[in-house]
Amino acid sequence: MVSVARPDVGPIRVEPDPTLTINRISKGKEMHGRLGSRLVKGLASGEKGQLTHFNDELLNEVIKECSENFLALQSLIRKMQEEGLDFQTTRNADHYGALINHLSLIRNKRCLMAYVYNRAEMIQNLAWTVGLRLFELPEEIQEKLSHLEKDYFKRHSAALESYMSKVDLNLNVDMVPPKDPYIKVRVLDDLGEGIVVSDKAANFARHSMHFLKRTDAEPYISRGLMEELTG
Amino acid sequence: MAEDIGDGSTAEMDDYETLMSTTDAELLKTAWRNEKAAPEILQFQAPLVKRAKEQIQLMEETVEEYEESGMDPLTVSLYQMDLDRAQFLLRSYLRVRLQKLEKYMFYIWKNESLWSRLSDPEKMFVQRCIDDMEKHLEETVLSKLPDNYQSVRRQSVISEEDDMVPEPQLDTFIACKARNRFVSLRLADSERPLEMERHDVSFVLYKVIEDKIGADIDLV
Repeated sequence: MVSVARPDVGPIRVEPDPTLTINRISKGKEMHGRLGSRLVKGLASGEKGQLTHFNDELLNEVIKECSENFLALQSLIRKMQEEGLDFQTTRNADHYGALINHLSLIRNKRCLMAYVYNRAEMIQNLAWTVGLRLFELPEEIQEKLSHLEKDYFKRHSAALESYMSKVDLNLNVDMVPPKDPYIKVRVLDDLGEGIVVSDKAANFARHSMHFLKRTDAEPYISRGLMEELTG
Repeated sequence: MAEDIGDGSTAEMDDYETLMSTTDAELLKTAWRNEKAAPEILQFQAPLVKRAKEQIQLMEETVEEYEESGMDPLTVSLYQMDLDRAQFLLRSYLRVRLQKLEKYMFYIWKNESLWSRLSDPEKMFVQRCIDDMEKHLEETVLSKLPDNYQSVRRQSVISEEDDMVPEPQLDTFIACKARNRFVSLRLADSERPLEMERHDVSFVLYKVIEDKIGADIDLV
C-alpha cells in the first residue's frame, strides 16, 4: 500500500491484488509510483513556502512511467479482447493488471499535478511578497524556476495588475497594518539619485538613512534594497 | 468595567457602540474580519467599498490641502495616519479576497452561488487565473500524459465528476460573535439551541452560521 497524505493530493491508496503476479505489471524495475512520491516529498521536505530547483529530470521520469503504465494498460485490454473476454465484467488477472496500471497512472498524475500546482501557488505568492516583475525577483529565486514557470509568473502578475488597474488601487503596498505613517530606513544598495518619492527627489546613496512614508519605502524594502530601522 | 457602573451607563455604552458600529470604517473593518476568518469567499461589499474609496479620496484631498496651507505637521500626520489606516483596511480587504480567488479558482468558478458573490473585476481576474493556470499545467504536465488523462479537473475520462479541484475546508470551527441582538442557533448534535447574547464569543461549526455571517453574526 502506498499512500500520500498531502492535502492537495488526497490520500490515494493503491492496493494491489495479492494474487497478482508482480512481474506482470512492473517489469521488474521499481515499484509503481515511487518516483511520483519522491517528487511530492521533495515539496514537503523543503521549508514552507521556499522554492527549490524545478526537478525537470524527476518530473520527466514520472511522465515516462505514466506512458509505460498506459502501454501496459492498453496491451492488457487488447489481450482480453483477443481472448474474447468482456472487459467490463471479467475479473481475471489481466483485468486487475490493467486496473493497477490505471490507478498507478492516476496516482502519478496527481503527484505531477500537485508538484506543479503547489509550486504555482508559491509563485503566486512571490507576486505578493516580492514584486510583480520578473526582474524584481532575486537571482536565487529566478534560477529555481523552470522556463514555463517564469512564463506563468509573468501571466499571473499581468492578471493581478489588470485587476489593480480596474479597481484603481495598488494592492502591493501596505502589506502590514500601519503603525506610523513614516518609517526610518537605511539604504542597502546604491540606488543613486533620480528616484522620486512623494514628488521629492532624494539621493539614496548606499548606507544613507532616510525618514520616508511607509508606502513609498515598502516596495524598496520588499526588494531588499532598503531595510526598516526599528527601535 | 461598564457593567459595574449601573444600568444607565451600560445602555449608553451600548448606544454609543451601536452608533460607532455603523460608521463605514467600522463596517469595513467588520467585513474585512469576516472575510479573513471565513474559509469561503463571502459576498463582495460593493456599496461599502465604493463609499470607502470616496472617503479615502476625500481624506487625501484634505491632507494635501492641510499640507499646502502649512498646518501644524503633527495635526497633518494624525490625519495622514487615519488615511493610512483606511487605505490599509480597503487594500487588505480586496487582497484577502484575491488570495482566496487564487487558491480556489476552479472551485469558485463552477459554483454558481459563490460566483455570484464576486465583483466584476474579480470575475475577470478568476477567469484569467484559470486560463493561466490551465495553460501552465497543460504545458508542463498534461500535454505529455496519455490521451484519456489530460483533463485539469478530472483524473481521467472515467471520472464522473471533477475530482481534482482544490476545495476549501468547510467542515471547520470558527470563532464568532452575535452582531446586535440575541441569536439562537440550532446545532446538529444537541437538543438545546445555542443562545448567543451580544458580545458573546462562541466556537461553532462554520456550516451552522454560514448564512448568518454579516447579518446576525460576525466572525472574530
